[in-house]
Amino acid sequence: MTHPGQRGFLLTAVFLFAPPAIAFAAGDYERRVMTLAGIYALAVLGYQLVFGRIGALSLAQGCFFGLGAYTTGLLGIHFGWTFPASFLAAAIVPALLAFVVALPVLRLGSHYFALATLGISQVVLLVAVNWTDVTGGANGLYGIPEVSILDRSFSSSEAMLVLVWGTLAVAVTGVSAMLRGRASHRLSVLRDAPEAAASIGIDAAAHRLALFLASAALGGVAGALQAHSVGVVSPAVAEFHVMVTILAMTVVGGRGHPAGAILGAVLLVHLPEWFRFLEANYLIAHGAALLLAVILLPQGLAGLFQRWLGEKPHFKPHTDVSSDRNIPAVRRASDGLEINNVEKRFAGIVALDKVSLRISAGEIVGLIGPNGSGKTTVVNVISGLVAPDRGRLVLDKQEIGAMGPHLRARLGLGRSFQSPATTPTLTILESVLAATSSNHDNATAQRLAESCLAFVDLSGWGVEFSGTLPPAKARDLDLARLLAAEPSVVMLDEPAAGLTPTERARLANRLKNLAEAGLGILVIDHSMDFLLPLADRVICLASGVIVSEGRPEEVARHPAAIAAYFGEGRR
Amino acid sequence: MSASILQLLVNGIALGAAYALIALGFVLVINAIGAVNFAQGDLVMTGGFVAVILADWLIESEAWTTWGLGVLVLPLTMVAMAALGILFSLFAYVPLRNRPPVSVFISTIAFGMMLQHGANAAFGPDPRNGPPLIEAGMVSFGSVGVSLQQISVIVAATFLIGTTRVVLFQTQFGRQLRATAQDQEMAEAIGVDGFRSIGLTFALAVALAGAAGMLLSNQFFVTPTDGGVFMLKAYIAVTLGGWGRLDGATVAAILIGIFEVMVAAVVSYVVAEALLYATLLLVLLLRPSGFLAESIQRRT
Amino acid sequence: MFRHLMLCATFCTATLVQIVASPASAKDAYIPIIVPLTGFLSLEGTAQRNGAVQALENTPEGVSATYEVLDTATSPEQAVTALHRALDRGEPVAAAASIFGTQMLAMLPVAKRAGLPLVTVSGTAKLTELNNPYIFRFFPGDAVVKVAHANYAVRELGAKRPALLYQTTAYGQSGRVHLARRLREMGTPLVYEEALAPSVKDMLPALTKLKAAAPDVILLHLHSAPTALAIRQARASGLDLPVVAGSAMHQPSTAKLLEAAHLKGVCAESASSPVSESVAKIAAFTREFRERFATDPDAFAMAQYDGINMVLAALADGASSAQEVRNWLAGHTFEGLAMTYKSDGKGNMAHDAVIICYDGETLVPTVVKRYHNVDGVL
Repeated sequence: MTHPGQRGFLLTAVFLFAPPAIAFAAGDYERRVMTLAGIYALAVLGYQLVFGRIGALSLAQGCFFGLGAYTTGLLGIHFGWTFPASFLAAAIVPALLAFVVALPVLRLGSHYFALATLGISQVVLLVAVNWTDVTGGANGLYGIPEVSILDRSFSSSEAMLVLVWGTLAVAVTGVSAMLRGRASHRLSVLRDAPEAAASIGIDAAAHRLALFLASAALGGVAGALQAHSVGVVSPAVAEFHVMVTILAMTVVGGRGHPAGAILGAVLLVHLPEWFRFLEANYLIAHGAALLLAVILLPQGLAGLFQRWLGEKPHFKPHTDVSSDRNIPAVRRASDGLEINNVEKRFAGIVALDKVSLRISAGEIVGLIGPNGSGKTTVVNVISGLVAPDRGRLVLDKQEIGAMGPHLRARLGLGRSFQSPATTPTLTILESVLAATSSNHDNATAQRLAESCLAFVDLSGWGVEFSGTLPPAKARDLDLARLLAAEPSVVMLDEPAAGLTPTERARLANRLKNLAEAGLGILVIDHSMDFLLPLADRVICLASGVIVSEGRPEEVARHPAAIAAYFGEGRR
Repeated sequence: MSASILQLLVNGIALGAAYALIALGFVLVINAIGAVNFAQGDLVMTGGFVAVILADWLIESEAWTTWGLGVLVLPLTMVAMAALGILFSLFAYVPLRNRPPVSVFISTIAFGMMLQHGANAAFGPDPRNGPPLIEAGMVSFGSVGVSLQQISVIVAATFLIGTTRVVLFQTQFGRQLRATAQDQEMAEAIGVDGFRSIGLTFALAVALAGAAGMLLSNQFFVTPTDGGVFMLKAYIAVTLGGWGRLDGATVAAILIGIFEVMVAAVVSYVVAEALLYATLLLVLLLRPSGFLAESIQRRT
Repeated sequence: MFRHLMLCATFCTATLVQIVASPASAKDAYIPIIVPLTGFLSLEGTAQRNGAVQALENTPEGVSATYEVLDTATSPEQAVTALHRALDRGEPVAAAASIFGTQMLAMLPVAKRAGLPLVTVSGTAKLTELNNPYIFRFFPGDAVVKVAHANYAVRELGAKRPALLYQTTAYGQSGRVHLARRLREMGTPLVYEEALAPSVKDMLPALTKLKAAAPDVILLHLHSAPTALAIRQARASGLDLPVVAGSAMHQPSTAKLLEAAHLKGVCAESASSPVSESVAKIAAFTREFRERFATDPDAFAMAQYDGINMVLAALADGASSAQEVRNWLAGHTFEGLAMTYKSDGKGNMAHDAVIICYDGETLVPTVVKRYHNVDGVL
């Protein structure tokens, strides 16, 4: 891997080892505090998956923490389960709750997601307080057995420290392994450009679910360790206070890197301890410190290391040829794409009425029409973002009408958006790598991505962050990313908007080359002078109805098309 | 029985009216900066303590008598809280204005923490009784006895909510606030001082929280740990009422007040609380954008 | 890079300072005060702190003690951390420990391992049922005060149909268990009961249902502000039944929330009521306490004061280690301000309870009934 990866690994290793090592030497109290820090680091590590990776503000991590604590406590006390068994259960039970609530909750927008997760947490807390027969009510459960594995007791502060930080090391390794390379890039695309993610075959729902479950399990594991180290479990473990602590740690430490979880937890567990001399006022200082941290450390403490971590890798292109000769491989859909009698209404207003069209392999089809005529809706229906009320969609003999957008993309259907969404945290190469199929091994994916970049003349730019590109280059990147998913049919929504004549010509040239290689292309555009020399066929849409179809010059002369453009449709 | 139902209804409306003031301040900030203000509950609590301190001071310094005390303390509390609101925006929002809304979320949590523990340090842990708006007493309507304080809470809340609406929708100042809330860049382009508008929105929102704090402090006392529950109620009200809608939040808040009291009377408090969350989750499940449509575009 | 170094340096220094600094000098006895100063029990915890501080600042001749106040906030985790910290900062001979039963349950095993006696005023019955030799409870436990509570309502007030409102907190739930059991034993079971979260504001719904159950006495087992609220709303809605409240009612800050007239017919159980006593020693304590802390002492403050004074008496009697203090506490009888303390062998030191009542004219209650030696230990 590249240098930043190695450095990140090194950094994480240092942060995993140094705090417990210092505490180990320091004394019983410091060991206990550092054990707590390790416990919270586990919960934060899980929280980073949702808050950092999905980019969703969950307020349920405290609840998962509490649930883990109650699970191990109840099983240990009432059923005499040994630590390893109840510990495992403490990971599974919160994950089960996450699974049950995931379906309705994960599709909610930001602040609703936050409130829904908060609501779920409140319900769990309510149960913990009021189901006194089982949970012990507000008094909680006491006498949770001390940790012992294979008859080895972990009651000493040294043993707990090692156990907790060892678990943390395993979890960090696991999370890092799960989120290495392209898997991580895909998640970045999913977070920063969710619609684009589906168009390159990323299954948003599955990724979100997996991360949500993993975060719940890590929260539960942390809660279980806390319960065993405190020896008591009470509703305090599920209170909002715990959630706030975890959130604050994530923000202070940084939400993107495991090192941030450790730094945030170690600092915020120690902070109140350092302010103890202020007696009852120490929490004012704690609040002030948190406020300062949010203001002064936008990327969290881990962000301080970002420059060092994010230093650009030395980029050596495998292929070094100019674009015209270097057309990336495309899949050939011999039967092309066909849609039949597609109808769509929005709130009763007809957006598409009996629209049928086909795009054959190697063909460039232009789609024109005035604003609001339904051009983008056609693309949205085909790519799966909008469900049609009626109609058939077939890609290369396969019905795709019932498939989610990401499945259509995997079958070879690609699309771009009017304004390309960028992924500021990824380099250009990484954002293209994210689109490559997970069936490819890393080397193949790398070659594929590089050839796509070379095709759009972005070879030398691979190490730049994609948020920094000028608009025209951002469109090039969008195309490269689309091609890296190896489509058979692509639909481009106004790809020439905002381009200079030179850039348009270059784009037209690229599209022709791609069509020659067998790609079916649908291009939406307003200007006939761009489409006339490019398209094999042009379809004109007006108020959701195809009014004219044929060779470009025919359509340009067709009265219905002219009426649509220059008559009532003119703005 | 019908008398006691009426009695409960009045209590529910009085409680809901106070919630509505809190939710109104909450939604104003959401519209202005697109972020949730987690300190709203602690600001309500602070308003309660400010009212207590002001009333004590007015009495002790013999600047005023108990007669009409509350009517004087309410505006004074709101002015003091408005000043705190500006301070709040300077610390918790201004340094973070170019960051994602979640940063403000955290900074308001931190600020709320400072308020809660600051109140504990400054005023002690004892619960305190705020001044009544008008003197204590009961009025009877047939068999329904309504306390003067409840009537004054409902009247004061109605007045303040009404005034806020008038200010927002009928004055130039209000138009500027709303313009900034809709699109700060555009508002600035047409000559609105966006910075000032947001500061004043905070002042207004916190003043409303302060008013709610004072009204609640007499009815239900005030302790430093009171904040959390108010924040939650406001958050739920704003969600059920349609994110960003002033009218929706107000109506939802009053309904929550009535709902809590009625369900608690018929079944139990625990069930009332559980049902409130269940309703919330159900609404989110069935209508992911709230009862009423959202009034503002989601900004993330 | 400079910023990183600065950060690391700050962190390491701060940790080092924490490790090196220690408050206690060699000859002073170190008695940490580990109580909730923030969160929903801050009122009671602060009373504990003040009582303990009052004792530690007026040590008997020949005994010098240092103390440190450590907040346990609202969770067992924070309590355990605070206790570990105290153990790390010196060699405590005893600790004043949290009123919050759940926190005590978490601290007890740690104290046992460290051999440190915990002096508490927590009422949770379980604390002294765990065979832990390091717990010393200077406030009558639920088993004592709830018996007094129920006895007074039934035997003195002649209640046949008691109704109860209690809090969904550790204090409320464990008190409720003992109250309900005692009332059943006496053949006057509860005709109505409801649990209220501390965040419940409007109590009219509960009072409406309570009225419908036609009780002849209202029992309350709520924290300070909710107790006052329940009484005020009951009176406002025309419910003039006698009220026997839990110990939160006796706290002067609870009465201050109400008008004297509301308090007519209100009684409460407690271990003592410092502001009601005219005995010279207690009056002096109350006066000094007011001067020092600008607030009235309550029974928790006085019990904690007595408890720490018993520890100081042990030190004055020659005990010098935590173990010796523990043995002294376990083996001696101590005349405190509130009552005579003696261990029942399980760490229950307090065996008296009082019932106080308000006359409807002042906010200061009078002690109307003293239950001596309820569990027969003395």
